[in-house]
Amino acid sequence: MTASPKPLRLRITSDPANLAPVRHEVEIFAAACGFKPNAVGEIGLCVNEAMANITRHAYGGAVDRPVHVDAEFAGDRLRVTLRDWGCGRCPSLEPNPKDPLEPGGLGLVCLRKLMDRVAFDPQPDGMLLTMERRV
Amino acid sequence: MSELPTSELMPTARRVGDAIVISVRGEIDMHNSPQLRSEVLYLLNTGKPRKLIVDLAQVAYMDSSAVAVLVESLKTMHRTGGKVCLLNLQPRVKGILEISRLNAVFSICKDEQEALAK
Repeated sequence: MTASPKPLRLRITSDPANLAPVRHEVEIFAAACGFKPNAVGEIGLCVNEAMANITRHAYGGAVDRPVHVDAEFAGDRLRVTLRDWGCGRCPSLEPNPKDPLEPGGLGLVCLRKLMDRVAFDPQPDGMLLTMERRV
Repeated sequence: MSELPTSELMPTARRVGDAIVISVRGEIDMHNSPQLRSEVLYLLNTGKPRKLIVDLAQVAYMDSSAVAVLVESLKTMHRTGGKVCLLNLQPRVKGILEISRLNAVFSICKDEQEALAK
């Protein structure tokens, strides 16, 4: 059985330059939780897409706004949360059957397909996204 | 065959007949995909190829913004009846193309020779 790694706490800005370092940190964390390489990559992709959506939509492209990324592992479940202080609008997670060549929405498709649970919880001053995946 | 402008992100680009063959290198996400977009669209708009062949052997990762660059390239090529062929998809790149249902939209070839012959 894999020992639970110490929770991950990342305090960053919405700058896309942070995407790769955060993705890599979360992937290292997920690997330490016992996820297989394919799942590690999928979890990293979901965190990348969630962060990119925060920059694009919650912060309207601003790159200097705060983002908190936390990850913890308990039992057989990895939970990643992303907190922003943006517009607080809740994106739709409904299936997207439209033409794959139409732009937009792929990030949320990844979250919906690759995570076991995805929840957007509007906060008085932004949004809390929780994503969970079991080993 | 003629050489075209290159960069760290796009280390090779050359003209082969009526095709442009490029290679892309690195992890492509929203941080560097705008640069890739402008470089690829510049080649398409100035070179007016009938085919774009993209070698992704050195791309271990791409996010949805990089996929959007490929889609925009495809649409640009489609407007003039052209094609886009992708080569050497790494597992994570293959994964996001499958999730986005684009694996059936792009022409995916095993090597440059096959792509040039298509």
